[in-house]
Amino acid sequence: MKAYTRRSRGARLRVHEIWDRYKGENHETALLLLILALLGVMAIVEPSALTMTFVGDIIRSGIVTLALALGLLLVIISGGMDVSFPAIAIFSGYATITVMNFFGVDGALWPFLLASIMGIALGSLNALFVARYRMETLIASLGTQVIIRGVLLAFIGSVYISTLPAQLDAIGASSIMRLGNSPVNILVLPVIALAFLVSWMLRKTMFGRSIYAIGGDRESARRVGIRVPSVQVRIYLIAGALAGFAGMVHVVLSRHASPFELVGTELNVIAAVVIGGALDSGGRGSVKGTVYGVLLISLVQNSLVRLGVSSYWHVLVVGVVVLVGVAIQAQASSREAKTTRILESTEASA
Amino acid sequence: MSIDTGRQASRSVEQATPPWALAVKRNGSTFGLLSLALVLAMAFSAINPDSYATLLNVESIAFSIPEVGLMALAISVAMTIAGIDLSTVAVANLTAIFIAWYSRVGVEQGQGQLTATLIAVAGGLLIGVLCGLLNGLVIAKLKVAPILTTLATMQIFTGVAVAITRGEAAYGVTDPLSSFGYNSLLGVPIVFWLFGVVVVAVWLLMTKTKYGVSSTMMGASRTAAEYSGIAYTWVVTRTYVLAGLISAVAGLVLVSRTASASAGYGSSYLMLAITIAVLGGANPFGGRVAVVGAALAAIVLQLIASGLNMMGVSTYIYQIVQGLILVGVFVVAFERKRVSEAISRRRRRANAQTSQTNQQKEHQK
Repeated sequence: MKAYTRRSRGARLRVHEIWDRYKGENHETALLLLILALLGVMAIVEPSALTMTFVGDIIRSGIVTLALALGLLLVIISGGMDVSFPAIAIFSGYATITVMNFFGVDGALWPFLLASIMGIALGSLNALFVARYRMETLIASLGTQVIIRGVLLAFIGSVYISTLPAQLDAIGASSIMRLGNSPVNILVLPVIALAFLVSWMLRKTMFGRSIYAIGGDRESARRVGIRVPSVQVRIYLIAGALAGFAGMVHVVLSRHASPFELVGTELNVIAAVVIGGALDSGGRGSVKGTVYGVLLISLVQNSLVRLGVSSYWHVLVVGVVVLVGVAIQAQASSREAKTTRILESTEASA
Repeated sequence: MSIDTGRQASRSVEQATPPWALAVKRNGSTFGLLSLALVLAMAFSAINPDSYATLLNVESIAFSIPEVGLMALAISVAMTIAGIDLSTVAVANLTAIFIAWYSRVGVEQGQGQLTATLIAVAGGLLIGVLCGLLNGLVIAKLKVAPILTTLATMQIFTGVAVAITRGEAAYGVTDPLSSFGYNSLLGVPIVFWLFGVVVVAVWLLMTKTKYGVSSTMMGASRTAAEYSGIAYTWVVTRTYVLAGLISAVAGLVLVSRTASASAGYGSSYLMLAITIAVLGGANPFGGRVAVVGAALAAIVLQLIASGLNMMGVSTYIYQIVQGLILVGVFVVAFERKRVSEAISRRRRRANAQTSQTNQQKEHQK
């Protein structure tokens, strides 16, 4: 009896150790397993749906979400919350197209740059309110969201632009390869490059580590000599630039410009980032986790379509997935907070 | 620390000033809002003397206040414990849909108008309580941040509403409900009376009961509150149930007033409700009860909405104004605090210098 319990405890310990080694800093492995499990369910229920086209659709729908998520990730790691990024994105995308039409100019690269610069300008509003006036980040971004959207609709335009300038339209139609019937757009490449860039910045630069430090404990970060307001300003400017770029990607991919799009998709992006392991209380999160989170959300949405679930249920299902994902992350991190690292290491050495 | 200095300041003022001035000083934000409302009312009346300052317009403003005012109250209550309730509009819509649906089904099944109304309203309020319970339990037990929880449940409640209505609007309410929504009592809309009753009830609950004091302390400092024996789970759950119940009352008002309900109704209300709550004096970081303030702020915002509407300003501009008010509240508060701190610092330095010179003089003697 005694031997049995000891052995089982040993086995459990070993499983625990293996899990600890591979679970990833932010439970990325659990997320990957969840994605695989969902794919498994799909394979059993509707095997005909699992085609290369399906993969292509997921990439297509996930790419704008990922571009938006990268900026939000920085904000959430620093302990903030942002709901203004969709407004910034659609403002930048739509205003760029309006400017191009107004002057009758065309281009392929500079519109993306212009949109990013607009994003920076709009992001500076968030930076001002958060860094200078120390506003609660959610409230500040709620305010800037309605202001930015109001300015867009009242002064820039509220009409649907059905055709883009020729060169941008060509980018929208281009593809680097085909997965089944679904073309993979060339814009996938810059977004992936940005993901690597943000990941590198977060892990290897002083600025990136400062973001984690502020999110972990603002006061401690200040005391070790990090200039908190200056880091916050840079976070919101970069997040603005990323949102502006994402807005342009959205406009080009959808091959039309509508000022009423994107706003309202905040929750999906926030969910992707948070499910990906970034806690809203700050100090955690990774690009890898965010990519998995985006994949999961995109997979759920596309699976619902493939499984023939009535579109009336989509909002509910996505909401439940978000709540469950967020709850699992919160549980995991609160459990971790209870077991202190020091005790664990003495146990291991004993 | 800020509380301390505030109390010291008021104590020193107490010796010199008359009681009415003290009352103004203690309820600064309330009086500020009241005077803001008066100034706005006069300004818009001056701009539109023929249409704004009429009984008809005042009545229509009074009809429009309760819905969004109640939603703001729900958010304000959640902010007292340093939380937030983003699901309030979704809960109101879900309640409204149930009431509209049961109004039809109940009467069809041969229940009297009054019975059907009572069951519909009771069921609607129960939905609000259950939604609030879900929010509270997820936040308190699963330790998910309030923003994320209520963002997700907002989606879930809206999703339920979309699923059961197939995305369409539900029309019609029972006769008692529609007369409740349309009629006035003593010249004031009945829904506005209800709003007043709820405001007073919530104010009593938040300031005069053990629960109210506990939740305020919990919002000011969770650690301190827990060390003094306040049960976190209990307070948080109760607060979100209260917020859910208030949201359900908002749903009751909206369905009686419009005689219809849909999952997508009032999507711009959320932002407005948060603006009202913050303008009313609620602190997103917790610890401040602002029930009366929320009610006054709701009146202020509706005065502005009506005034801009009469001037023919587009709704987009009104949204910009809302956003500017929201951030403006913080900017003004920040600048005021900074200026007053700078003044007191200068005064302290001046005092220190005079005492120093006095000491030096004594030393020289």
